[in-house]
Amino acid sequence: MIFITTILIIMALYLLAGLVFAIPFVIKGVAVIDEGARGSSWGFRLIIIPGVTVFWPVLLNKWLHASKIKRS
Amino acid sequence: MSASYVAVGWNRQKKIYDWLIAGFCFTYLLLFISVTLIVNEQVTFETLLIRSTSTLAVLLLHVILAIGPLCRLDKKFLPLLYNRRHLGVTMFTFALAHGGFSIFQFHALGNTNPFVSLFISNTNFNSFAAFPFQALGFFALLIFFLMAITSHDFWLHNLSPRVWKTLHMFVYLAYLLVVMHVMLGVIQYENNPVFVIIILAGAVTLITLHLLAGSKERKLDKRKFSLEQEGFMYVCPAEEIEDSRAKIFCIDKERIAVYRHENKLYAIHNVCKHQGGPLGEGKILDGCITCPWHGYQYLPHNGQSPPPFKEKVSTYDVKIIDGKVWLNPVPFPEGTERPGATIK
Repeated sequence: MIFITTILIIMALYLLAGLVFAIPFVIKGVAVIDEGARGSSWGFRLIIIPGVTVFWPVLLNKWLHASKIKRS
Repeated sequence: MSASYVAVGWNRQKKIYDWLIAGFCFTYLLLFISVTLIVNEQVTFETLLIRSTSTLAVLLLHVILAIGPLCRLDKKFLPLLYNRRHLGVTMFTFALAHGGFSIFQFHALGNTNPFVSLFISNTNFNSFAAFPFQALGFFALLIFFLMAITSHDFWLHNLSPRVWKTLHMFVYLAYLLVVMHVMLGVIQYENNPVFVIIILAGAVTLITLHLLAGSKERKLDKRKFSLEQEGFMYVCPAEEIEDSRAKIFCIDKERIAVYRHENKLYAIHNVCKHQGGPLGEGKILDGCITCPWHGYQYLPHNGQSPPPFKEKVSTYDVKIIDGKVWLNPVPFPEGTERPGATIK
């Protein structure tokens, strides 16, 4: 029971971090990493939130990489 | 894609498709609930919800998995493939409703967290007949969830087509989990074997369709091209290729589509950049080679998507000598313009 509870808590924390990340990402980050998202609708930005919440480490890495290229 | 994303890329065909899905689901639920109420007057509302949504999700899953091989066997089924993602998301919605109602009904009314209860209420992992089938359903639902949330083209682009395709191939693992979930659930809770028979019939149908489609493609890939002239291979007589259509040839393990357009032949790589659709099974619409799966387009002479899109596929040299089509299987870089071969 402790093992399953621990796994569930870790998953919940991971998803919570993803949800927090999703807010600035759909507002700004998405257009930085993908030119197809520039000028995209709010419907699109809302529809990707569940995916952003799960795959946020991949997107964070892409965002940091894209920002680094832009700066240099 | 480089044009701006939209939430749902609806067009007339997709709207019709979605209305048909909605109509089918509504009719199915209505029929299932009516028949169950007639056959079993004591059935509870919760049981009706759990069973109607689960059987509908399983039925939709079978349709989804049958669409791919059916399209490879007969092009008439291609319209079903066009909007398969919406069918997938619909299936997930009903599977989620089933999972949600079940977790609430069987695990949420005690003191233990319902998700913890799901895994500790049955720990007979060493028994086949008493195996915790609910956990199998949970993991299948988890896979469907990951597929549903990544169904937008944004994910195809940003996770990379290879990762996206690999993730979505997990549908077969999810299907296996669903089959075990249903069979064990029926064994543990039912006396009537009808659900086991139906799901086994569905599995046999799907396996047969996949084997038939695989065998058809193997025949195409195994064709040998022996005549060679200065790097060009003889593939077929020119008149065999219909106007605005293509023939596919597999040379050195690469599939190449040779298209006929405005009395000329052009050759491009057969694999669409979107989801790997077979470009040679499409047709030319508005001067563009159009993928039969989702309508992505490429210009025949350079393999480039028309602006503002930026997808590109490899092109090949093709020539016609005495009415015979000769193809050079060495690809040019993606998007390279080639002159094509004029049909006299």
